[in-house]
Amino acid sequence: MAEFDPIEAKAVEMLDDAQLEAVRAETVAANDERFELVLWNLCLRGVAVIERVCRNRGEACGLSGQEIELAIEDASARMLLRLSRLEPQPQVHVLAAEIAVACVERAWPLQKSAPRLSARTPQLRLVKGLDEAIETGRARPNDWENS
Amino acid sequence: MSAADDAFERAFWQALEDLRAGSEQPIESYLRLVPREQRQELGRLLADLLLARGPAAPAAEGESEGYRRAVAVVDEVLGSRGASGILPGTLKAMRRARGVEPDAVVASLAADFDVQGEEGRRALARNYHRLETGKLLGSKLSRRLLDALAAVFEVDAAEVLAAARPAAGGPTLKGVPAMGRGAGARTPSPPPSSAAPPDPEVELVERLFHGGPDA
Repeated sequence: MAEFDPIEAKAVEMLDDAQLEAVRAETVAANDERFELVLWNLCLRGVAVIERVCRNRGEACGLSGQEIELAIEDASARMLLRLSRLEPQPQVHVLAAEIAVACVERAWPLQKSAPRLSARTPQLRLVKGLDEAIETGRARPNDWENS
Repeated sequence: MSAADDAFERAFWQALEDLRAGSEQPIESYLRLVPREQRQELGRLLADLLLARGPAAPAAEGESEGYRRAVAVVDEVLGSRGASGILPGTLKAMRRARGVEPDAVVASLAADFDVQGEEGRRALARNYHRLETGKLLGSKLSRRLLDALAAVFEVDAAEVLAAARPAAGGPTLKGVPAMGRGAGARTPSPPPSSAAPPDPEVELVERLFHGGPDA
């Protein structure tokens, strides 16, 4: 990466995610060379999420360690593409998680379809009727007093 | 972004902030913030987040092999930013991560643009190689080429277009130095009368890679 003024680099590093996204949108639109610095900082925040989501979700989907690492690389490149856009983007953690899920769930040529002895992929879904219970306020968190 | 997407993002972000602060609420309190049809997806993402949080400290997790490889990809792509933006680096990184050989990309482009002859395919391979190695101008790439590349890599065409924007003040293409020529009275040689007409497929390929957005 190009060299930037260390004070400016530190200032960018200290921005929160929303501020950093705002600066990204500005610098990309103006073709400002500091875009690279902003992108670097956004990506550093995003790759931590990509790594965790790809690993957890990849293991749950039965991907091998190598496939998970390839999914991480793919997701990192796709995050860079996405952050090049002029349009405002979601918070980097949300964006990274979304891209990581897509990269793990794409077709993997080496993915085995035969039954395995490993744990089944968890199917996470809402309990039937929970929607209505949430709407009507009937669903409440458990605590020692009411359960 | 639609209101539903906005609500989804806010709910996810709220959950993330609460988790960071150690003040997370029951999961249904976040699900309640989004429209019914998005609860399934939010539930999945929150489950991922809760799984990802785990007991280990973030700093230790940040040093994993996967994290290092991800940072290496970002570093390599940004480091290669130039006359066609970050497109060369991202194409190369995605291709490698997906185990796709350059020949497969070229074959796909050849099918898209109906390039069947040997010369045309060779021109495609040559130009694709030049694109991936940052030797082409992003501003001269045609929209239909970028659309075709987006389809090959299954990404949004707008992202490929944005990634191809040349870097400001970044490295530019080096011109070929002019060859010195004496000031003698040498007359220019006439064009050979037997020169073969240019291959239309090669011409098409050259237009795709060098003809500008509307070519």
